[in-house]
Amino acid sequence: MASRYDRAITVFSPDGHLFQVEYAQEAVKKGSTAVGIRGTNIVVLGVEKKSVAKLQDERTVRKICALDDHVCMAFAGLTADARVVINRACVECQSHKLTVEDPVTVEYITRFIATLKQKYTQSNGRRPFGISALIVGFDDDGISRLYQTDPSGTYHAWKANAIGRSAKTVREFLEKNYTEDAIASDSEAIKLAIKALLEVVQSGGKNIELAIIRRNQPLKRKKYL
Amino acid sequence: MAATFFGEVVKAPCRAGTEDEEEEEEGRRETPEDREVRQQLARKREVRLLRRQTKTSLEVSLLEKYPCSKFIIAIGNNAVAFLSSFVMNSGVWEEVGCAKLWNEWCRTTDTTHLSSTEAFCVFYHLKSNPLVFLCQCSCYVAEDQQYQWLEKVFGSCPRKNMQITILTCRHVTDYKTSESTGSLPSPFLRALKTQNFKDSACCPLLEQPNIVHDLPAAVLSYCQVWKIPAILYLCYTDVMKLDLITVEAFKPILSTRSLKGLVKNIPQSTEILKKLMTTNEIQSNIYT
Repeated sequence: MASRYDRAITVFSPDGHLFQVEYAQEAVKKGSTAVGIRGTNIVVLGVEKKSVAKLQDERTVRKICALDDHVCMAFAGLTADARVVINRACVECQSHKLTVEDPVTVEYITRFIATLKQKYTQSNGRRPFGISALIVGFDDDGISRLYQTDPSGTYHAWKANAIGRSAKTVREFLEKNYTEDAIASDSEAIKLAIKALLEVVQSGGKNIELAIIRRNQPLKRKKYL
Repeated sequence: MAATFFGEVVKAPCRAGTEDEEEEEEGRRETPEDREVRQQLARKREVRLLRRQTKTSLEVSLLEKYPCSKFIIAIGNNAVAFLSSFVMNSGVWEEVGCAKLWNEWCRTTDTTHLSSTEAFCVFYHLKSNPLVFLCQCSCYVAEDQQYQWLEKVFGSCPRKNMQITILTCRHVTDYKTSESTGSLPSPFLRALKTQNFKDSACCPLLEQPNIVHDLPAAVLSYCQVWKIPAILYLCYTDVMKLDLITVEAFKPILSTRSLKGLVKNIPQSTEILKKLMTTNEIQSNIYT
């Protein structure tokens, strides 16, 4: 049944599936794991970096990107699609600042990315973006935010979430271990992110990269071990 | 004549059998060249079972030549990696032979010089107990070759007093269930056994309407027909290439009777598996 309705993005199947969008979610699972945690005074993004080839410049393999000074995102899925989405989002952040003289809220830029992704699920001749994104940051009101988008163009706010390979295992770990105590202090939140990643990261902790944003402070990246 | 949805006109097959039939028959008659090509193709796709030292073909089937009480078959790269790190490192295994075959899925067009780094099936037996056999099959055995493979390995009249265990992987999107694939705890194991297999499996049995494909299905069907006790452990995973988490999903099988006594040092095996992963990683920048 699936094979007759899954070639064109703009065709619904009789039971209401958009198969291309669902297949795009499979592409997300091919990317390495990314985890996001929202603490009270800190937001943490942790990613599993895959090993780079010997001759490859490590700095050009980026899974966490800053969209603005106070917002950053991690993605899982097709690298090229992510690059396009990130570029559009960065331009939108600056355009917003110029037009209304205020930096974007995390929800605004998430909505922008989600709308962009949804447009590509409803146009002929295009395919959906094969990425899911975790967007974190602090708004002007000082509240921390974490949002997740997926290829279908939906977005939701989360307290903690994971995307990419073995995301389900990490999410189950977070459900068990995310407590008010666990995120009480900044270091506890960072520890939780690392522990969650270690559940699924291959070859131990050598391949973990973290990005943290504290309230009113710029993005900090940390490479572990 | 019939018109299709797109407006093209297609000749519909005629059931009445009119004058057209004779013309078609002439075109279908086989020329000597056709026969020659067909024979060449059959020779190319032949499954050959070779002895280890001499590299000559085995005259009888493998299990007719060597008696066997336990046979473990790993099909696919994750299952092969599992046996390599957990079972083959816990004892001394001697290679008894290999099955060489070629089909369209092979990466090389040269059929006579498949090197040992090319994927094909290797058969081992345990030196301390030569009745225990192991097969590492990392190549794809096409539908027309599966029967030949079974003949060359099991023979046409197999013994019934052996136990077969098959390990293989399948992509989780092939798993038919009323839940959505996003909520499945992949990787996960399912088992399918023949009627004569009396022990219990270490995981749930494969539910309807799921089916088994390719060589594992051929082996299981063969065992069911010949009343040989056999069990298949199928791992549904979302990563088909060599992956640590998928291989570790096979671990519950270590406690079953099939593999009891064959696995000694589990922590060391996990280390070996990790090394296997890093050496086999292929660089790809498409997904991050």
